[in-house]
Amino acid sequence: MAGASAADPSTPAPTQTKKNIPLARKPSGISRELYSLIGPSAPTLVAQVAKPRLKQKPNLGSGGSTKWTWRSFKNPARTDRLELGHWVKADTDPDAEYSFAKYNVKLVDYTYSQDEYIKFLEDPEWTKEETDYLFSLIREYDSRFYIITDRYEFAGGPPRSMEDLKDRYYSICRKLIRNRPWAGDEASKSQLVSSFQFDKEREVMRKKYLLSLENRTPKDLAEEEALYIELKRLEQNEKRFKQDRERLLRTLLGVDSGLPDLPIDEDGPLGDPKKKKKGVPGELDSPATPSSSLFTSAVPKRAQSAKSAAHDALHCIQRTDGTTPAGSMLRSFRLAYPKAAIAAKVSQMAAELGISLSRLVMPTRDTLAQHDALLEAITALVETKKVADRVDQEIRTARMRLGMRESETPAETPMDVDEDRQAPDTPGEGRAQSVVSTRSGRISSVDTSGTSTTRVGTKRQKLS
Amino acid sequence: MVQYGGDEVSALVVDIGSSTLRAGYAGDDSPKAIIPTSYGFVPLSRDSDVSMAEAGTEPETASPKEESKLYIGQHGPSVWREDMQIGNPMNEGLITDFKPIPSLIRHALKDVLHCKPEDHPILVTEPAWNTSLNRERMAEIMFEEFQVPAFYIANTGVLNAFAAGKGSALVIDIGHSTSSVTPVVDGFVLRKGLVHSALPQLVHAHAKHTLITASHNHPPIQLFSHQLIANKTPVEPGTPPRFTLRDDRFSKTTPSLASYYENREVEEWVQSVAGVLDQGWNDQAASQRPARHYEFPTGFNTYFGPERFQVGELFFAHSRDLVASNPHLPRTVPALISQALAACDPDMRQVLMGNVVLAGGGSLFAGLGERLNNELVRNFPHVKIHAPGNPTERRYGGWLGGSILASLGTFHQLWISKEEWQEHGKPIVAQRCK
Repeated sequence: MAGASAADPSTPAPTQTKKNIPLARKPSGISRELYSLIGPSAPTLVAQVAKPRLKQKPNLGSGGSTKWTWRSFKNPARTDRLELGHWVKADTDPDAEYSFAKYNVKLVDYTYSQDEYIKFLEDPEWTKEETDYLFSLIREYDSRFYIITDRYEFAGGPPRSMEDLKDRYYSICRKLIRNRPWAGDEASKSQLVSSFQFDKEREVMRKKYLLSLENRTPKDLAEEEALYIELKRLEQNEKRFKQDRERLLRTLLGVDSGLPDLPIDEDGPLGDPKKKKKGVPGELDSPATPSSSLFTSAVPKRAQSAKSAAHDALHCIQRTDGTTPAGSMLRSFRLAYPKAAIAAKVSQMAAELGISLSRLVMPTRDTLAQHDALLEAITALVETKKVADRVDQEIRTARMRLGMRESETPAETPMDVDEDRQAPDTPGEGRAQSVVSTRSGRISSVDTSGTSTTRVGTKRQKLS
Repeated sequence: MVQYGGDEVSALVVDIGSSTLRAGYAGDDSPKAIIPTSYGFVPLSRDSDVSMAEAGTEPETASPKEESKLYIGQHGPSVWREDMQIGNPMNEGLITDFKPIPSLIRHALKDVLHCKPEDHPILVTEPAWNTSLNRERMAEIMFEEFQVPAFYIANTGVLNAFAAGKGSALVIDIGHSTSSVTPVVDGFVLRKGLVHSALPQLVHAHAKHTLITASHNHPPIQLFSHQLIANKTPVEPGTPPRFTLRDDRFSKTTPSLASYYENREVEEWVQSVAGVLDQGWNDQAASQRPARHYEFPTGFNTYFGPERFQVGELFFAHSRDLVASNPHLPRTVPALISQALAACDPDMRQVLMGNVVLAGGGSLFAGLGERLNNELVRNFPHVKIHAPGNPTERRYGGWLGGSILASLGTFHQLWISKEEWQEHGKPIVAQRCK
């Protein structure tokens, strides 16, 4: 231990003799036994207080303090001999140009000679003097037209609007550029000319519109808002009508009747766009949805004898028509999921109906088909609910607007207006319902248990 | 320093307002010398009795004779002196009497700042509606009397916009005597859109009227200032005060000094009690706000309820009776704003409403900023008001803008130098200070 203490370089006196010196120099605040156990490496309070370990001071600024001197300077932008003084670092060049002089930039301004004016720039509405005055103002205020218009006071001249001034200035600039010899190429010249393009009529018109926009009264604003909402509603109705019609047609006539502008998603996993065009007669009355196409795709289209069918059923043989991807696969991959947009609603609905969507433990072909049908039904239900909600909302807004109108023109709106206003909505509702009912009818034909269908049915009745 | 575009040449900035004169070094954030613009003067010789009598009848236009002694600064008008009259060189924001101006500036620069004006370029402010005669006179005073090496006169509207860090702004400046709306574009005032009215004076007069006429919660209040009161004893709120006047002083107080002291008392009351309802006038809302206690120098004290909001309401709306009684009322702030905007280009209005700058000591009325915002939002959807929360910045915005401008490196080419003044004479002022 003594050896160790001697080897430690932090020992205060390494030159002292090795034997038991640390014991002799035991600090007072520690017992002898403890000291003999831990030795001189024990941190003592005394040592800590005596030598605080401070962080090294940051070295700001490398070479001491900088010397600053008060120096007078000349500003090259000035024409007089004014010398102002400022503090600068002593080591800066006293003869250097004033550092802010470089910001004093002048715009390129156009001037014309008497000759040029007579040749090109004559204008019945402007005299040469007034044009000169305009150009002097433009030079003075660096083409800030708002200020030029504000300060423009030409004695004896007519009042000029900003458009008048701009038009005059830009047209003169254009003419000067066009008629003067041009050193560069044509492209840059025409580019420069086009940068001075100014359409006075249009500007005046634009400002007029701007003014009329500003002068709208709150009533105008409210009406505009109402019209805009109305327009949006009409657009939506139109879209929905189109969709419903499409769906109806497809349900009734099959894929072929589908309007071309609708996204065809039923080809998804089976991926055969030609199928749509082929027009297979057997598919005419089969609903074209992913699940059902999956379901129907398994149904062979070739004429199949009842016997072989029975044979297949007995031996669990399934014949595919070659449209499924080659190779082996798990059926659980085909498990359909509700669309992400309505997934939450679907699962909520499923929970309400008391169905667990995750129950499909063994996705055989039949269970898969059932599962798909179930999802389909729930989706349809969700959509129906959405439609019902929207219609409700529309009725409410229509009532509100009607109320507003009634309050504006009292006693002039008989009750039948209300019916009139609702009239466009009711067919939409009916349409939505009819679609749903055809769907649910199909679903019930697929669904063997039938319980879910009845539940859906009651729910729908409640909603409508 | 260079990266901020600043280059300080130890310029001085002098901002003369109706209430105070501000002076300080360019580059500072607040003026070092703030002295009242009002000054006291005592006619020296006996033969000025006539002028005294005149001054007594018209205290506003009182003007000292050449030889009379002026009392300026912190110990000027606020100290009672025998036969002292009070003068103010300003009227509606303009200097109408140039005689005391050199003395006022000299006091600020020499006695308060302790600097030699001949060593420093000086930037002076002016209201946007200043006359060219006035600014030339100011240049003359600076060059001839103070021998400044360089001079510039800048517009308070523009400077307020600069103080808010904006080149284009709609500056609403509510000062001591005048409220103005100044559209500023790229650092230039749009003169056609510039409007101003003596609205603060109306507010002041209304406040005074409220105090000196009896109402349901107070008798007519005597507005003696503490200089005239020998002693007083505390009394319960609403009860008549018990105080004795200093008879030795009272009889020798000139009418102009008495009215100056009275106005000071009204101002004190306005500043501590009056406010603005932020959602427009509403009797119920006004009565729901807590009443405020205020004690006058006489010892009279009471609680002020809804009437304290009526005072501020005058900034935004005049009551029908008031309009009927006086068709030439100063226009309200919203009226000023809409008038200013109507004179501006439609393209510019959006820009201006997005950069509204609220400045001036009068805008420190409690709740005025919120009220203005509410009023403007109703008519302009994209309004944005810049109102410095720091009262010093708000009151001395014009000075602060001057301080910024005069310490910019790029500004130094604009100074009118003494040499130029001697060479070109007065026209150089209009030519340089656009």
